[in-house]
Amino acid sequence: MRPGVQRVMKTRSISRENLAALVADLVKGGTDVVAPARASDGKVDYRRVAKFDEITMNGGMPRRSLKEFFLPPTEALFSWKQKQADITLEPVPTTFGPAVVLGARPCDTAGVVVLDKVMGWDFRDELWFGRREATTIVSLACSGVDDSCFCRVVGLSPETEKGADLVLYPADGGFLAQPVTEKGEALISAHSARFVDAPAGDPGKATAGKEKKATAAAAAPATPGGAKSETVLPAGAKAGTAIPAGATAAPASVGTGGIGGPVDLGSVHDWLADHFEHPLWEAIAFRCHGCGACASVCPTCHCFDIVDEPEGVTEGTRRRNWDTCQEGRFTLHASGHNPRAQQNARFRQRVMHKFYIYPEKFGETLCTGCGRCVRDCPGGMDLPEIVAKIAALATKDSVRS
Amino acid sequence: MNLYQPHLVKIDSIIEETHDTRTLKLRFLDPEVAAKFDFRAGQFGEYSVFGAGECTFCIASSPTRKGTIECTFKSVGKATNAMRGLNEGDTMGFRGPYGNSFPLDRMEKASMVFIAGGIGLAPVRCVIWNTLDLRDQFKDVTIVYGARSVADLVYKRELTEWEARKDVKLWQTVDPGGETPEWKHEIGFVPAIVEKAAPKADNAYAVVCGPPIMIKYTLPVLEKLGFPPERIYTTLENRMKCGCGKCGRCNIGPVYVCKDGPVFTAAEMAKLPGEY
Repeated sequence: MRPGVQRVMKTRSISRENLAALVADLVKGGTDVVAPARASDGKVDYRRVAKFDEITMNGGMPRRSLKEFFLPPTEALFSWKQKQADITLEPVPTTFGPAVVLGARPCDTAGVVVLDKVMGWDFRDELWFGRREATTIVSLACSGVDDSCFCRVVGLSPETEKGADLVLYPADGGFLAQPVTEKGEALISAHSARFVDAPAGDPGKATAGKEKKATAAAAAPATPGGAKSETVLPAGAKAGTAIPAGATAAPASVGTGGIGGPVDLGSVHDWLADHFEHPLWEAIAFRCHGCGACASVCPTCHCFDIVDEPEGVTEGTRRRNWDTCQEGRFTLHASGHNPRAQQNARFRQRVMHKFYIYPEKFGETLCTGCGRCVRDCPGGMDLPEIVAKIAALATKDSVRS
Repeated sequence: MNLYQPHLVKIDSIIEETHDTRTLKLRFLDPEVAAKFDFRAGQFGEYSVFGAGECTFCIASSPTRKGTIECTFKSVGKATNAMRGLNEGDTMGFRGPYGNSFPLDRMEKASMVFIAGGIGLAPVRCVIWNTLDLRDQFKDVTIVYGARSVADLVYKRELTEWEARKDVKLWQTVDPGGETPEWKHEIGFVPAIVEKAAPKADNAYAVVCGPPIMIKYTLPVLEKLGFPPERIYTTLENRMKCGCGKCGRCNIGPVYVCKDGPVFTAAEMAKLPGEY
């Protein structure tokens, strides 16, 4: 930690004009700025922007998650060239130019940090971490998008700071800016003229005395497992993700995916550990087409394929491409044997990986409740509903035993 | 260079094992890589032909034999067919080693029973040679090897070598109907021959690899002979891409074959869901 940086980082504020100027400064300085912006069809995507006007701050859920900026849908791993019997390999760079993600959804930033675990255990994925290290993530506390959002179901909240270096909260005329990491603080110091100390003055870990300012949180009814109204913790948020004084928390109803509130992920994990075989798997998979749309829009689905793309006879590129466990060939052996030959086995894998296997291996739920899989499923599969169903089965089992 | 970029290896020699199975002896092109390369019996690698892609096999040679690594493969898919198209002197890719290994240090001073069917001898051969190269550290060594027919037996020269050794008990068998008039060894399925060989379970470890049906019927025989599931080892395979715990496809329930395996005990296997 650099001298002069306090461990509890000071909340600042930034006006819209200054945020626009910050974007201009960054772009001018050669930093890529990635932010939610309208595509030509009017939908919002995370994409590289040239100026602040292109950005739609809090203007709807970007179609795809943030993961593609760290794990692109397709990327070269190296290329080869053959001359007679000699083959030479050309590596791809593993260092990347500086980038700032601005206005990311908290569910998307959380997804990135969840994936750090799998990308870093034992073998380090240099391409992932090269991009991670070059990128500062500025998220925007969320006021909710629609009924498909279910961050609170998986223990996060619209204000979660997980994975963000700096969190922006909408405030009068601009934003409160709460640095979370040194990287976030460094972004502020490098552009200190654009920020001023927040009016409340105190660091962001708000105490009970300040909760009156978080009016929406105080007014919202407490949800099961969530915070009581005398704290500023938004319902479902983990301790330590308190919002700064002066910021407004999203209503507790936001992010509950139509099932009312958080589920006990521990009991879901335990039930899954014991129920690889259960009639539920066949029942729920009937609606699944196996198209894998859920995986491509998911902030945490990270499975990939490695394929060679020859260009002519003597050269080519080995690439890593997104893949999905919902696709039959995913596990198909060369012999023709397929351990997951049927869709119910493949959908079970999706649920197991997210709520049992990944938590078991890495202590993190492989789902941040962004709700994209619900919005984009042509078969109407509803992950929060399925998780709630499993939680209910778990409760029933524990009552019975 | 990132972890998915392989080392270049040159094919030193090719052995035609059967009509569809070959063994390649590979040498690292970069002498520094060659000097540093080390692995343990049971570990695997990703072998590749540039333009056709990667495939996963256990290293079939023993870590006691430095300088080269060997892989034995059957031509069944895109990459293995491309591998079959390569000649001595051609260049391939290899990255690894990955995965866990047979705990040979724990097996020291014990008897070893190796049971393999078909091309399942490839990963077992690595442990066999590792054991034989450190022969005085082990007690009895028994090998039961079977294939569908005489033509399907792999490592024929080594079978002859093992047969000639006084410190190895070798049982060779072919499935009924797979014998030739010259065949003077056993005729019958591997589990039945294991029963006939009746290796002593006392202070012994069994290493089993072969088709699922062979493993299924061999385990009860070993159990009857007194082998506890904790002392029966096998090596699993599943479709893999990265080989190092990232690409998300080789898991059996919560177990990643590439990281927690490929070597498992029968006791560990019994806890896994049947999705392999």
